[in-house]
Formats: sequence, structure tokens, C-alpha cells
Amino acid sequence: MITFEHVSKIYDPNIIGLDDINVHIERGEFAFLVGHSGSGKSTFIRLLLKEFEPSRGSITVAGRNLQRMRRSTVPYHRRNIGCVFQDFKLLPNKNVADNVAYALRVTGQPTRAIRRKVPEILQLVGLGDKMYNLPDELSAGEQQRVSVARAFVNHPSLLVADEPTGNLDPDTSVGIMQLLYRINRTGTTVLMATHDREMVDKMRKRVIALEEGKVIRDEDKGLYR
Amino acid sequence: MQFRFYLSEAVNSLLRNWVMSVAAVVTVLVSMFVLGLGLILFFNFQDAISDLRSKLEIEVFIKNTATQEEIDALGEEIRAMPEVKSVYFVSKEEALETLRESLEGNEDILDALSGNPLPPSYQITLEDPEQIEEVASRFFDNPVVDNTPGKDPPDGVKYGGETSDRVLRVTTIFMIGGSGFVVLLTIASILLISNTIRLSIFARRREVEIMRLVGATNWFIRWPFVMEGVISGVVGATAAALLVLVANHFLIESVVEKMPFLFNATAVPTFTLTIAIIGGGALLGAIGSTLALRRFLKI
Repeated sequence: MITFEHVSKIYDPNIIGLDDINVHIERGEFAFLVGHSGSGKSTFIRLLLKEFEPSRGSITVAGRNLQRMRRSTVPYHRRNIGCVFQDFKLLPNKNVADNVAYALRVTGQPTRAIRRKVPEILQLVGLGDKMYNLPDELSAGEQQRVSVARAFVNHPSLLVADEPTGNLDPDTSVGIMQLLYRINRTGTTVLMATHDREMVDKMRKRVIALEEGKVIRDEDKGLYR
Repeated sequence: MQFRFYLSEAVNSLLRNWVMSVAAVVTVLVSMFVLGLGLILFFNFQDAISDLRSKLEIEVFIKNTATQEEIDALGEEIRAMPEVKSVYFVSKEEALETLRESLEGNEDILDALSGNPLPPSYQITLEDPEQIEEVASRFFDNPVVDNTPGKDPPDGVKYGGETSDRVLRVTTIFMIGGSGFVVLLTIASILLISNTIRLSIFARRREVEIMRLVGATNWFIRWPFVMEGVISGVVGATAAALLVLVANHFLIESVVEKMPFLFNATAVPTFTLTIAIIGGGALLGAIGSTLALRRFLKI
């Protein structure tokens, strides 16, 4: 699903984001990307989304080489990747249903399909009764659920989460993790960057540890350590 | 294109930032109103000028000694000229009659004359008044024309040379000046709309970032902004068009009564003008927002 071959990213001037990374993640896998702040987790994710180009190496996502992808097709690439962020990134002026619907609008889906799919997915994340609330009116955990719903409503083959539980208390975090786990069970590849030690240890999934831009550890059923 | 979605996005954004929207609409309103007034004046002046110009004519006086054949031959020659729109022959008797009418009350002066000293003449109007000098010059050396020998310019041909020159010069200056003014106003409107859309983009830059992340194409993100500009333009211009119509009705038409020689109520094609103003507003909005998008929406 994701292949990084000798990928380096050097920011101007001479700040190393990633340093010769080789990672392969299979379709349907659940992987944690762990490391301190500044270890390169966000660089890894932003490269996946083709927000910028690597300085060296090649990246393949879902069989497509990102270097050879034209700029005009980048939006279509991103539709294949659901994104969940630490700060939720919800549209503050749109209610919950419209926020989720936006991801469908973007793909040009007809209104009728949108009206059907949005309540469905919001039921799934447990927010069926808050469809018409604005993001401000929800708790942090609920907002993150909306964000997960939006990421998953297109049924992407890959879901990327950048510190999704970073702003949440432990109990709420468990809820979000369960949601991601369920999404993974449907066959979606899930890549989650985190420094939530407890969560990683509890899940016993693949752990890729980064430090100063290098992979220092990559093990199945690993621990945070 | 998901027209309804874009439209509702644009309208929502306009309502949300209503202070900014009102500013943009008022800006367009003022610009288009001034533009509209300018156009009314332009139409009226153009009408007045073309009226004046169509009245410019060449008078060719014929020697009293000329035979009827010579007179007819000259008439044929004039009619054969491609620049000539119409030719009218004024006989000696008709010339005297016209003079008598213009003397109204003092006709007895004419009684002092022995016979009729007035020469017959041809009155010529041209298709294009710009050629008046050139056409007139063709009669300077004609033996049938009543030119006093050695007089320069020849006195047998009258074409209001000075007057026509001045009218033509004023027309040109007015056209150039008017166009310049309209261009300036148009640029000002575009810049102001562009600035409003720029502010709207800044206010929503976080949203734009999110749109990109969920895979919105560039045009999916741009369309609502373009529509925002177009809506501001159309709303402002529609209000301006109404004001212009009102102004045309009350101001200009009252002037027409006092100065009918300069203003002509039928000179302004009201329907065309309204459509032009509203269409112009839409165009200004589209150009303004496109400019802002190009410079400030990096996607």
C-alpha cells in the first residue's frame, strides 16, 4: 500500500526531516508511527499526501508513484487517503453533516447519495443525533469523531491519522482508537502517527519508530518503548 | 459543475462576511453609477455631435453667366462623386426667396436691387463629414463656380471649414477623454472587487487548506470565490442601473426640455444601457475575483 524507498527530505536550510527511509506497509495493515516531536512523523505523512516533494528517493502509494504524478491529479490522489488530524480541521461554519458531506461533494457525488451516506457514517461514529450541530458545540472527542467520519465516508483504501488522540483525554482516546480499529477491520490500511505510549502498547500492532529522521525500529506487534 | 452547491457556498460566504460584501457592492454601485451617467452623457453628446456633423454641408455658388447646360453638367458631376450623400439645387429665385424670408419686415431693402443678383447654388451633404475639405477643394478651380479670381481661399465654395474642423476636434477629444475616464473607473472597480475577494480568501484560508486535504480540485475551491465576485458585481450594478435610469428620467429629461439642441431624450438606449451596466458589473466581479485568486490563492 505504501512504499518509501531511500526517501530523504531536507528542509531549507539543511534541516533534516527524513533521512534515507525505507518502509513498506501492506494493504490492510495497521501501523503506528512513533517518535518524539520533530522525529519526522509529520514529514512522513505530508509526503504521503504529496504536500511537498521528497529531496531524494521514491514514494509509492496504492500502486502510484508520487514523483510521476501530475499536479492536476493530486486532488484525486488525496481522495484515496482519509485524513485525521490532531486539531480536527473541521470547517467551523458548517454543521456536522455538511462537514462530512463536503468530502463527498468534492468527489462530485450527487446530492441524493450524499443525503444517504452522511447519516449512515455519522451513526457509525455515534453522532447520529448531532448532525445539525456546529463543530463549536461539540466536545473535543465528538469533533474528532466527525473528522474520522469525514475521512472514512469515501471509503478510502488508506486512512492516515496524525496524532488523532493528541488533544483528547485517555477515555475519549480509547473511543477514537476503537473507531480506527473498526475501520481497519473493513480492510482499510491505517497509519497512525502518535506519541501516546499507552495506546500503542495496548494495541500490539506494527510499530515504526523514527528518530531524527531515521527508522530506528520497525516491528510487528511492537511496543512504544 | 455543481452550480447550486457553488452558489450556496458563495451566498453563505457573502452573508457571513456581510460587512465586506456590502463594501464591495457599494463600490461597484458607485463605479457603475458614474459609468452609467458617463454613458448617458456620452450617448447624448454623440447624438448632438452626429446631428451637428450631419448638418455640415458644402455650398457651391455658380456664376450668373453660366449656361443651363453648364449648371446641369456640374450637377451631374457632383452626383457622380461617391462621397456625396445628397445634392440640392437652389435656383436664383429660391435664393432670393430665402433671403426675403430671413429679412422679415425689412423686405423693402430688396426693392432697391435691380433684378436678382443672387447666384444659383448646389447644397451638398456628404456621407462622411470628415471628407468635407477634400470634396470642397475639387470646386476651387472649376470655371463654372463663382470664384473671385485671385482670392484665397476661394469664395465660391462655402463649407464652414473652420466650424467643421472645430466640431471634429471636439468630437475626438470628447471620445478620447470619455474613454479614458471609463477605463480608469473600470480599473478602480476591478481592483476594489479583487481586494474584497482577497480579504475573503484570507478569512477562509484555513478552510481552503482543509478543502485541499479532502481532495478538492483547484476549480472546486475557486468557483465559490468567483461567484462571490460575480454576485457582488451584479447586485451592485443592478442597483446602479436602477439609479442611472432614475437619473436619466429626472435629470437629463428635464435638461432636454431646456436645451433640446444638446440633449435628445431618445438618444439613450435605456434597455441596452441597463443590460450593459449589469453585464459590466458581472464582468468586473469575475475579473476582480480571478485576479485575487491568481495572486492570493496558492493551490
